[in-house]
Amino acid sequence: MSLKRMIAILGAFYLVMGVLPIFTGSADHLNILTMILIWAVVASCWDVIMGFAGILSFGQVAFYVIGAYASAILSVSHGISPLVSIPLAGCITGVFGIIVGLPCLKLAGHYVALVTFALHMVLVPFLRGPLGRAIGSGGAQGILTVPPIELFGYAFNADTLVPFFYLTLVLTIIFTLVLVAVIKSHWGQAFLVIKDSEQFASSLGVCSYKYKLMVFALTSFITGFFGALYAHYVGMLSTKMLSMDVFTLLMIMMVVGGIGKYPGVVIAAAITVTINQLLAPLGMYRPQIMGAIVILLVLTLRGGIVGIFEKFLSSRPEGGISLGR
Amino acid sequence: MLQVEGLTKRFGALIAVNDLSFHVEAGQVFGIAGPNGAGKSTLYNLITGNYSYEGKVVLDGRDISGMPPHRIARRGISRTFQIPEIFPSLTVEETVHVGSRFGSRGGVDVQHASEIIDVVGLGEELYQKTGALNLLGKKKLMIGAALATKPKILMLDEPMAGSNTTEILSLMELIKKINQDLGVTIIIIEHFMKVLTDLAQVLMIIESGTLVCSGKPAEVIQDERVVKSYLGDSYA
Repeated sequence: MSLKRMIAILGAFYLVMGVLPIFTGSADHLNILTMILIWAVVASCWDVIMGFAGILSFGQVAFYVIGAYASAILSVSHGISPLVSIPLAGCITGVFGIIVGLPCLKLAGHYVALVTFALHMVLVPFLRGPLGRAIGSGGAQGILTVPPIELFGYAFNADTLVPFFYLTLVLTIIFTLVLVAVIKSHWGQAFLVIKDSEQFASSLGVCSYKYKLMVFALTSFITGFFGALYAHYVGMLSTKMLSMDVFTLLMIMMVVGGIGKYPGVVIAAAITVTINQLLAPLGMYRPQIMGAIVILLVLTLRGGIVGIFEKFLSSRPEGGISLGR
Repeated sequence: MLQVEGLTKRFGALIAVNDLSFHVEAGQVFGIAGPNGAGKSTLYNLITGNYSYEGKVVLDGRDISGMPPHRIARRGISRTFQIPEIFPSLTVEETVHVGSRFGSRGGVDVQHASEIIDVVGLGEELYQKTGALNLLGKKKLMIGAALATKPKILMLDEPMAGSNTTEILSLMELIKKINQDLGVTIIIIEHFMKVLTDLAQVLMIIESGTLVCSGKPAEVIQDERVVKSYLGDSYA
C-alpha cells in the first residue's frame, strides 16, 4: 500500500477515534475506545514482525505482559515514577526481544514460533513462583496497587477516562507514525526482502541478522511500552493477562486486518475489541464464539479487510513505487 | 583479482569441494563446468559466504574468507541463482533499488539503477510486480539487482537453465555486454558447452569437488579427462 493511502486510512481512523468521546460519556465506551488504541499498536507491532519481516513470532502477548509487569514492579517496589518506568519497561522488553530474537536467527518458521511461544509459556510459572515474587510480581495474587501516571499533579487512570484516552491517543499516534516510518524506510524494505528470499537478499548486501534483531527489538519495545501504559491504566495486574483469550483476541485482529496488510490490523483492533465487548454477556461461551470466528475468518478472509479493499481497487493501480519514498 | 586457495567443504562424510585452487583475472569471463553433483553450486556458496569452509578466498589482495554473504556482496562479489530468486512483494524497479541501496555505499544510486534496468532490458516492466515476470525476465532481474550492487565480479549460476534458444542468445548477448561494456568480471557455471566456449576465456572442469583441468575452452573440451568425466571411460 502506498504511503499516501496508508496515511489517509490511519488519519481518518484516528480522527474518528479522537471525536468519539465527544459523543459518549459512558465509562464502558471510553474504556473500549482506550483499549482499541492500545491493542491497535500491539497488533501493529505483531503485524510488522510477522507480516512484514515474516518472522513467525508468537511472543507478542508475552512482551506485552513483560512491559506491564516491569513498569508495575519498578513503580511499586522501587518507587520510580510511571513517567520513567513506562519507557524503562519498554527498554527492558526490548532487551527481552533481542534475547528471544538471538536464537531465532538460526531458526526458521515453526521453530521460531515454538521458541517465542516458549517465552509466553514460562512467564506464568515464573511470575507466580518464588523468583517472580522475589522481584515483586505479587505471585498468584498479582500486583493490585499499580500507581497511575501523574503529570503536574494530575493523575491519568481509569477514574479519569477522558484525559487518559487522549493521552493514549497521542502516544498511539506517535508510535503509529514510528511504525509507518519504519515500514516505508529501508528497514521496512529489508524486512520485506528477507521475508521473500533471505538468500537473495543477503547476496545483495542485506544483513539479515541485523534487521531481524532490529525488528525484534523495535516491536518488543513498543509492545512493552503499551503493556506498561495498560498496567498504569487499570491499576492491577495478574497472570490472567497471559490467558489464551488475550492471545486469541490478538490473533483475530491479525486475521481480520490481514497479515502484512498494514494498517488493516488497526481497523481490525477496533472491530475485534468492540465485538469482544458485545459478546461479554455470553460469559463462558464468548471464547468459543471467538474461536469459531477465527476459523471462519481464516477460511473466508485470507487477505483480511485490506484484502477486500485491494480487490475492490484492483482496477485502479496506484503506480508501483511505494517503498522507501 | 580473485584467488581461491585449497578450498575444501565437507558435509559429514561427503567431500563436496576438495582442495580446489584457481584464480580469476580482472575482466575475464571464467567458465566452470562439470557433471551434476560436481560441487559447482557449492563452490559458489563457499565463495559468497553461505557455508563455512577450509581454505582461503582472496579478492583484490584482501582475505574475504569467513565473511558473511552481505559483506562479501558489499566487497564486490555478486551472484545469481540457478532457480531464479525474486522478491514477489516488490516491483522490478524496487528490486534493482534493493541491490543499489544495500549492496553499495551511499544509498540508492537512481541514475546507475536506471542504466542497469536499461542494460538488462526491463525498462518496460519497471513498475510490474516481479512475480508477473516470465523466466527470462526473472533471470534478467536477478542479474540487474546483482549489477546494482556495483560488483567487481558477477557469479552466474547456470543462467541458461530452462531457457530456449532465443532466450539463450539473448542472455549471452547480455553477459557479453556486462563484461565488455560495464567491465565486470564474470564467473559462469553452465552446462551448455557452446555458451562457455563462446563466452569464456578460461574454462575449469570439476568433478566430485576436485579440479579435473582448466585452460582455454577449446583445449579443455578436447581433454581426455573431460570427455571421460562427461561421457564415461568408453568415450575417452
